[in-house]
Amino acid sequence: MAKESFDKEIQFLRLLVLTSGAYNRKQFAKRLGISVNTFDKTIRRLKEIVQTTYQQLPEEQGKEFSEGLRYNYYDSADPMLLFLFRAKSLKESESERLSLLLGALGTQSFTALELLDCCTNAMAAHLPLPDEKTIRKDLKYLEEVGVIRKIGGARPYRYAIRGELVQELTEDELLDLYDFVDVMAGTQIPSVQGYLLRDGLKKQLMRSHSEKHAVEPFLYKYHYHSRILDEAHLFTILDAIRKHRKVRFLYFSPKAEKSYASQNTNPLFERKTQGKLEQTLPLKVVYDHQYGRWYLLSYGREGIRKYRMEGITQFEEAEEADPVWFAEKQQELLEKLRYSWLIDTGAPVTVRAKFYNPSDGPNFIKERVLLQGQWGQIVEEDDEAFIYEITVNGTTEIKPWLRSFGSSCEVLEPIRLRREMIAEWKEIRAYYESV
Amino acid sequence: MNLFEKIFNYQIISRLDDSGTFMVTAHERAWLKTVLEHPAASEAFTPETLAKLAALLAEDEAMDTGAHLIEKARSREKQVYHPLLRPLRRLIMNRSGIRVTHALKSGQVYSNQLGVPYRLEYSMVKREWYLLWHHIRNRAFMSTKLDNILSVTEQELPLERVSDILTRISETLENRKAEVLVQIIPQYNQEMSRILYALCCFDKEVQYDAQTDTYTVKVCVMGDEREFLLSKLRFLGKRVRVFEGEYVKRRMLEASVKALERYGVVEEVTVMVKDEDALNPAQ
Repeated sequence: MAKESFDKEIQFLRLLVLTSGAYNRKQFAKRLGISVNTFDKTIRRLKEIVQTTYQQLPEEQGKEFSEGLRYNYYDSADPMLLFLFRAKSLKESESERLSLLLGALGTQSFTALELLDCCTNAMAAHLPLPDEKTIRKDLKYLEEVGVIRKIGGARPYRYAIRGELVQELTEDELLDLYDFVDVMAGTQIPSVQGYLLRDGLKKQLMRSHSEKHAVEPFLYKYHYHSRILDEAHLFTILDAIRKHRKVRFLYFSPKAEKSYASQNTNPLFERKTQGKLEQTLPLKVVYDHQYGRWYLLSYGREGIRKYRMEGITQFEEAEEADPVWFAEKQQELLEKLRYSWLIDTGAPVTVRAKFYNPSDGPNFIKERVLLQGQWGQIVEEDDEAFIYEITVNGTTEIKPWLRSFGSSCEVLEPIRLRREMIAEWKEIRAYYESV
Repeated sequence: MNLFEKIFNYQIISRLDDSGTFMVTAHERAWLKTVLEHPAASEAFTPETLAKLAALLAEDEAMDTGAHLIEKARSREKQVYHPLLRPLRRLIMNRSGIRVTHALKSGQVYSNQLGVPYRLEYSMVKREWYLLWHHIRNRAFMSTKLDNILSVTEQELPLERVSDILTRISETLENRKAEVLVQIIPQYNQEMSRILYALCCFDKEVQYDAQTDTYTVKVCVMGDEREFLLSKLRFLGKRVRVFEGEYVKRRMLEASVKALERYGVVEEVTVMVKDEDALNPAQ
């Protein structure tokens, strides 16, 4: 059987989250480059997962599904896209068998033959009965993923579930653990494994505290929900980097390709072409907190290459590169990234901006500059204002941040950026003047 | 490490849930072992629990994502845990009342205010924790920075009263929501992904008019979230235009007029420019 890929589901969910409610079935399918039939099938599958996982049923297909996925901030702190990672398909007999094995091992340790008996007795009538070989294969798998372990040295081996995390902790400690996992998954990256663990601990806590407020005391403001979708590729990419392996993938640039510019539809989600087959040597992964996006930075024939992780599909490893050469290229990249606000590797330029303090109350302007201004420095300061200086690669990436301060920020240098700011504020003023 | 392991399959998870079985994989333990190295861990656990966890995870390997993963445009991480999180989360869980002594931005101190705690909220932007609570005498929904709380003690209140208040908070929050319509200027449709990413941290809905190829984003914000929305709108600049939402529109005009004044570009515009409160950026 071909390796199951979740590219379609990932693209699908991303489009759903970003454009929630914008498209009808036909438009949606077209933008993903799939048929309406495939669209319907995908949505049915995702609905089934959501329904089984969260026992909630979004009503109709398409638009209604996206509304079902709409995030109600105060309702639940569950990450809404986590169910993607529950999507691996499994035969009914296998999922039942694995659940039965774990259910039995949850109470005490058993040998493989005892477990075979347990399964044979408990298996639903319409499912095929397992044989010893199958059970041994299952146990091997469960041991590999670290869910169970062999105990005792003598044959026949006994197996036990690795439930120490909940068994050895007191109720109060378990609460601390759940909170810590919740906070760290909520505030750090990567977070998918943390969310999966949170899910398990939450269910465990729910068994003793059935009320929601007991298990969901925390909220996280202004999260990028789609960020966890890209973690799907993160570990395979990091693995390739560790092994200095080149990788191959079909890349769909989220930006418009020139050849589509004439088309009268939003080119971003247009998937008419086949994408571009890329082969490249991955060097680093970058997470951009400003937008909640992930990038793969690599070395290809044309030098340093940057890929948005969301455009990567059909990812596979290729041949190994020379480790010395790899280290050289990685060092080169690090040098170039030194002054990148995000990932710009262009020529460094010094930006000087004057920030005006608020006339009274706490200085939230300065607080924010210190919090978000990365390696920039405050070089001059008086009661009215302060001057912030930073060397960055190009001005494109820092510009939106400077602009977000509105009239509290005046760009002094470079003069080109100052002019651009003036021009842009004029345009913005024109939007609202007439109102 | 593959995140799409069959052990995470939804049918398995749901069956285990039915049988009350707790299952944890090596993936999750590796993640836990890694985050336990963060300084926040010492604030989250007692030293005994921390030692216990370290022993339980002794045979597991930590994740080594750090080596090849770079984070950019990250806010300085002022605070991940706060000493008040542990006591407050227990008060929330037990549906207790509280007596809070807290300071305001101005430095003024309010002592022993009676209230009901609702949730603990972390701002990813400011990297700080807040307590959301109901102030009983003022009948007000409050958001107080944990750093500004000088003391908090448990105050017994009848359970029905606490439940009533918590229900009322949910209603209040629902009523506070306002809608702002933001149009993406079609000329910038090519940058759609970036624009939608910037707005995707809000409760929002996108409308698409195929005829004019125009996207409009309906953003749902609470009163105090408007400042953060404004900073995002200024961030996006000319790519978007507020279509509906008088207050936000007025503030965008003020920002542009005042910004141009800073640059010495003054043209006659009939607008009342309100002062600095207009500039309070992100929440």
